[in-house]
Amino acid sequence: MTDVIRIDNLTKTYGKKRGVTDLSLAVKEGEIFGFIGPNGAGKSTTIRSMLGFLNFEKGKIEILGKDSVKEHTSILKEVGYMPSEALFYPAMKVSEVIKFAADARGLDCREEAAMLCERLNLDTGKRIKELSLGNRKKVSIVCAMQHKPKLFIFDEPSSGLDPLMQNTFFELIKEYVAKGATCFLSTHVLSEVSRYCDRAAIMREGRLIKVDKVDNLTESTTKRVKVTADGAHEDYLYNGDVNELIKKLAGKNLQNLYIEEPSLEDMFMHFYEGKEEK
Amino acid sequence: MITVCKHELKLSFKTLLIWSLSVGLLGLVCILLYTSMEGDMADMADMFSNMGAFSDAFGMSTLSIATLGGFFATEVGTVHGLGSAMFAAILAAVVLSKEEDGHTGEFLYSLPVSRGGAVTAKCLSVLINLVAFTVICGALYVLGFVMLGEEVLWKEILTFLGRMLLMNVEIASVALIISAASSRNRLGAGLGLALIFYAYDLIGRVVPDLKGYLFIGPFSFANASEIFSGKAAPTGSIVLGLIVVAVSVASAYIIYLKKDLAS
Repeated sequence: MTDVIRIDNLTKTYGKKRGVTDLSLAVKEGEIFGFIGPNGAGKSTTIRSMLGFLNFEKGKIEILGKDSVKEHTSILKEVGYMPSEALFYPAMKVSEVIKFAADARGLDCREEAAMLCERLNLDTGKRIKELSLGNRKKVSIVCAMQHKPKLFIFDEPSSGLDPLMQNTFFELIKEYVAKGATCFLSTHVLSEVSRYCDRAAIMREGRLIKVDKVDNLTESTTKRVKVTADGAHEDYLYNGDVNELIKKLAGKNLQNLYIEEPSLEDMFMHFYEGKEEK
Repeated sequence: MITVCKHELKLSFKTLLIWSLSVGLLGLVCILLYTSMEGDMADMADMFSNMGAFSDAFGMSTLSIATLGGFFATEVGTVHGLGSAMFAAILAAVVLSKEEDGHTGEFLYSLPVSRGGAVTAKCLSVLINLVAFTVICGALYVLGFVMLGEEVLWKEILTFLGRMLLMNVEIASVALIISAASSRNRLGAGLGLALIFYAYDLIGRVVPDLKGYLFIGPFSFANASEIFSGKAAPTGSIVLGLIVVAVSVASAYIIYLKKDLAS
């Protein structure tokens, strides 16, 4: 499979402040790729560099085999982007915003837009200033999907959407991906990554600390241990020989003991903080 | 690019109507007031033309306000000059920065629109707005002459409007730099810029030592009294104005293309 996104040694700073340092990653065609990290980890900087909003000092980004700087406009024709803040021109009607996005691409997307608006239950007659965050997010989804792009880039897409709409949104992604699209999903919501993504990358302080299949990220020797012994409750990640753990616990008066596979949330905390582990 | 330009024109349509009708109708009312003030004007014209620097500043030393042409140049000339300069400055000072200020930049620039293309489209929309403003105001002024049954001074009015348009373009181009460099709307800075240019011209005409430097300001070649009295624009002022436009627009392009867009 070809690389739809290829980032090599990307470095972006904001004056003396860190943005992203020496980031390299590749996203394969047809996959849903999760991009995880806490606030300030460099996720948005990476996305904004990919889309040409930021000028980066070092490195190279190729999207759909094209150079992100030299062939910027050509790349954007094939990309559907949904920013974390779904903000549009307040006085415009929803239908006008959707049409403007299609016109700027030189495409007639009315059929696809109508389908998306119906699935998302979006009232196109309202003005943007009358919409809630959730409804603005829906407008953003339509604008990102109506031209059936080869690559979706989503930055915190589900925030503001109710659970039903989140479900519809991810169904739509799966449908487009089944037809050959690729999805780059930056999110805080780890359950979305574990449920929908094939692979994920974890960012910390501007650096990529881990990239792997989602299954592999949760499969490791690390275990979550929940123990109630001698009247005290402990909950921690254990990385080591299970026999040693049992020996250690044998001397205690156990009321309850759970040794489980860690969740993606656990692994994220493990990679991010590394202080909960015993 | 055409889509972005049309979009910009749509967004600024109300502003254009409000400003052009306000300035144009004010000018029309001034023209229509001429007949009711004509008798008094004849008596006042001599006094107004002998007020030294004040008369020079408002062009009343070279032109009699007792004539419709003179009255138009001194009254409408000032109203149109200030009003159009403020409109041009307001429009251009926010045309680029409003995308970042309103957080719409991520939407606009995620569409296949290059930043250079967007700047071109936005500059074009400002220019079209300024031309439309001039046409609407000009039509109202001509209507005033027709309503009074006076001969329309086509040559003078067209020269006046053409020079005013060039002055507006020059002020807009300087304000465009402010817009390109800022991620917040700098409406106040734009208005301030227009007023500074106006004040520079006014002071330059009052203070004898500064007269030699008048040509630097954009109001120098758009002085209605000089146009209506057949005087040529200060030497080099129009050429300098065109150079300022070219350099300012080029600077705005460079600044905007190199900057990181705020989210």
